[in-house]
Amino acid sequence: MKHRLKMLAGSALVAAALGAAPVHAYTPDRTIEFMVHSGPGAGNDVFARSVQGVLGKLKILPQTVQVVNKTGGGGLVAMSYLAEKKGEANPLAVFTSVWFVNPQVRKEAKVTMSDLTPIARLVLEPAVLTVSADSPYKTVKDFIEAAKKNPGTLKQSGGSLTSRDNNTRFLLMKATGTNWQFISMKSGGERVAALLGGHVDMYMMEPAEALEQIRAGKIRVLATLMNKRIPALPDVATLQEQGYKVPEIPQARGFVGPPAMPKGARAYWEGVFTKMHDSPLWKDFLKENYYEDGFLIGPGFEKFSNEYTQQMRGILKEAGIKLVR
Amino acid sequence: MEILANLAHGFAVALEPMNLLWCFLGVFFGTIVGILPGLGPSATVALLLPLATQMSPTGGIIMMAGIYYGAKYGGSTTSILLNVPGESSSVVTCIDGFEMARRGRAGPALGIAAIASFVAGTVGVVLLMLIAPPVADFALRFGPPEYFALMALGLSMVVLLAGKSMLKALISMFVGLWLATIGIDMFTDIPRYTLDRIELMDGVSFVVVAIGTFAIGEVLANLTSESGGQKFEVPKGLRNLMPNWQDLKDSRFAFLNGSLVGFFVGVLPGAGSTIASFVSYGIEKAVSKHPEKFGKGAVEGVAAPEAANNSETGGALVPLLTLGIPGSGTTAILLAAFILWGLRPGPLLIQDHPELFWGLVASMYIGNVMLLIFNLPLVPVFAQILRLPAYVLYPIILGVSMVGVYSIDQRLLDTWLVAFFGLLGYLMRKMEYPAAPLILGIVLGDLMENAVRQSLMMSRGEISILYSRPLALTMLILAAAVLVGPMFRRIAGWRVKVIEQEA
Repeated sequence: MKHRLKMLAGSALVAAALGAAPVHAYTPDRTIEFMVHSGPGAGNDVFARSVQGVLGKLKILPQTVQVVNKTGGGGLVAMSYLAEKKGEANPLAVFTSVWFVNPQVRKEAKVTMSDLTPIARLVLEPAVLTVSADSPYKTVKDFIEAAKKNPGTLKQSGGSLTSRDNNTRFLLMKATGTNWQFISMKSGGERVAALLGGHVDMYMMEPAEALEQIRAGKIRVLATLMNKRIPALPDVATLQEQGYKVPEIPQARGFVGPPAMPKGARAYWEGVFTKMHDSPLWKDFLKENYYEDGFLIGPGFEKFSNEYTQQMRGILKEAGIKLVR
Repeated sequence: MEILANLAHGFAVALEPMNLLWCFLGVFFGTIVGILPGLGPSATVALLLPLATQMSPTGGIIMMAGIYYGAKYGGSTTSILLNVPGESSSVVTCIDGFEMARRGRAGPALGIAAIASFVAGTVGVVLLMLIAPPVADFALRFGPPEYFALMALGLSMVVLLAGKSMLKALISMFVGLWLATIGIDMFTDIPRYTLDRIELMDGVSFVVVAIGTFAIGEVLANLTSESGGQKFEVPKGLRNLMPNWQDLKDSRFAFLNGSLVGFFVGVLPGAGSTIASFVSYGIEKAVSKHPEKFGKGAVEGVAAPEAANNSETGGALVPLLTLGIPGSGTTAILLAAFILWGLRPGPLLIQDHPELFWGLVASMYIGNVMLLIFNLPLVPVFAQILRLPAYVLYPIILGVSMVGVYSIDQRLLDTWLVAFFGLLGYLMRKMEYPAAPLILGIVLGDLMENAVRQSLMMSRGEISILYSRPLALTMLILAAAVLVGPMFRRIAGWRVKVIEQEA
């Protein structure tokens, strides 16, 4: 699979270089902006700054990179800002799953992912189902049994209703005919604290959120929510291995550009991220953060983008969330 | 003993010339961004993040923490002089600080703020050093019901912020609570009062409301007054520009109260320094022998909130360093810095990286001393700002406010909003509605609503969850005591009168 991806990437590059239409070569001539939709310190801000760091160390870029925070509206502010830069080559933005989901559920949204120029999908974030170390639940089965005995009383901490954790909860409840509470909390810190303090029974998180707590034995991981085991947690079985037919909901991060970015510029950025992806520094970064390599550019990324939008629409509809477009 | 050895090791790290330089730069920049309204420590720390990640983790964290607690020192300056809260946590300082300035006591107010910051900043580090791990466990006992009780306690402080009319204070608070509901509702994902504008989906920033109602409202009220504006007296002579012994004596309890409240509220990931400063102000007024002086330039009214927002820094570092859980915007960026260095704070950080933890602790002692040394001489200098004539001072205040508000999120809508709230602040002044309860409402409203709804989801609508847990119950009883306290005082007052009449 990976080889095929690389070949795809390679051929896309060649195609871009030899393209029939005259493609103007592009090199950045001013400070490069990486836009993120959340404030400093949030997950995708750290991600953007990490990429900035790796690119800096590799010295691939002729200009410095600056991370710009355009917060608000769950990504919608950043998306419309990017759309205003139509036809330009410079600001790139970090997309996350929110960029696919929010335009589907918010009527205020003016821009969707299909309007923007795809550059590269870089990582996939795995997710795990966790309980506190002093919890009575040692397996997912224990938890589900308890949920069956007392419907609606167990509690899961999480983010917003459209987040992956709530969607996975919904699918797992449906597969097992059980139900439990979903308690929204503002920050990841509050959710982890609520789990550690015993105020909730379960939390579905990205392992990087509480790596140290897992290592110190304060949090127990009961299952991986992906289709395959996470290399860093080889002993943790997937939900499907444990007998629960719940498909994984991928969560991807990467870069997009303004609508109608010139072809030469798009090829340039694809080249930059391909070089970064092939470097050992990037491999280390993926490993340290428990990320799965999700590298895709060109048509592969576009295909993912369309399929993922459809998949999310299906899940949201099933979860009873109203779609606006 | 082990602590002393560790601390000695920490000082050896912090006193390395380079680390000393980073510490100095951190507190220096911190003071400056603290003075500038709008531009807060979190934005500055974020700005320096690329630089810090090139440095050694110890040097970097020393510098970034310096910005964090240094900004708390500077935050009081514009609150006292211009009634413009420099940081969100300095809103409370405006109440008595600006009144002191109005009475020609700007110097003592700035001085007491610096001293309170120093005392509390140091107490915060001592507590961080001695009791970080057990306190972190205590913080975890705070679930939604406990947060609800804490917010109720905070909200009860409204009776202490009320001026002449309790009804007007309550109306002001309820408007604040309503403003807090603007934005996307987290639980149902439904927008409330957003007028279909993307910018309003995250709600109204309370810094915008605070700067509008305090600073711009004040300017407008002065411009339309008969005298044509403020002309504060600035007494001559250095002695009159510094706090005197009586001020220090009056502030003794405020130092202690603020230090402890600030630290323990700071430890809670879901609270924040603004609540700490309101609560410590409330406690100060509640136990004071002369509560009538509050709101009219009581020196304790400056000392308590300034102490609270400085020791809060020490508290906020506890969950970050021992649990890896950031409790505020700034600590979230510090966590990002750790991750970019390839370190992950958590239960094992102190034992895995002692040089980092103890170096940071030692640098915070040093940084607080530096801040005191460099803020006290600035007091007489800053106090001179008030000598400026109104036609120079007011445009400065308006300009600083507008730029400050815009710098939060670079959104033009915020500058319109601050003008709107300035008008509201002006009308409130004319009709004698106090502005502080409005701010209290908007700060606590969001957190309180989240906490009560989370609690009721946990109990499936059973309301007893709010008062059946001992910690929550204790805080609710305290809140009730604060609410009925003034009534008892009044009854006691009648009794004294009756006895006097009988005699």
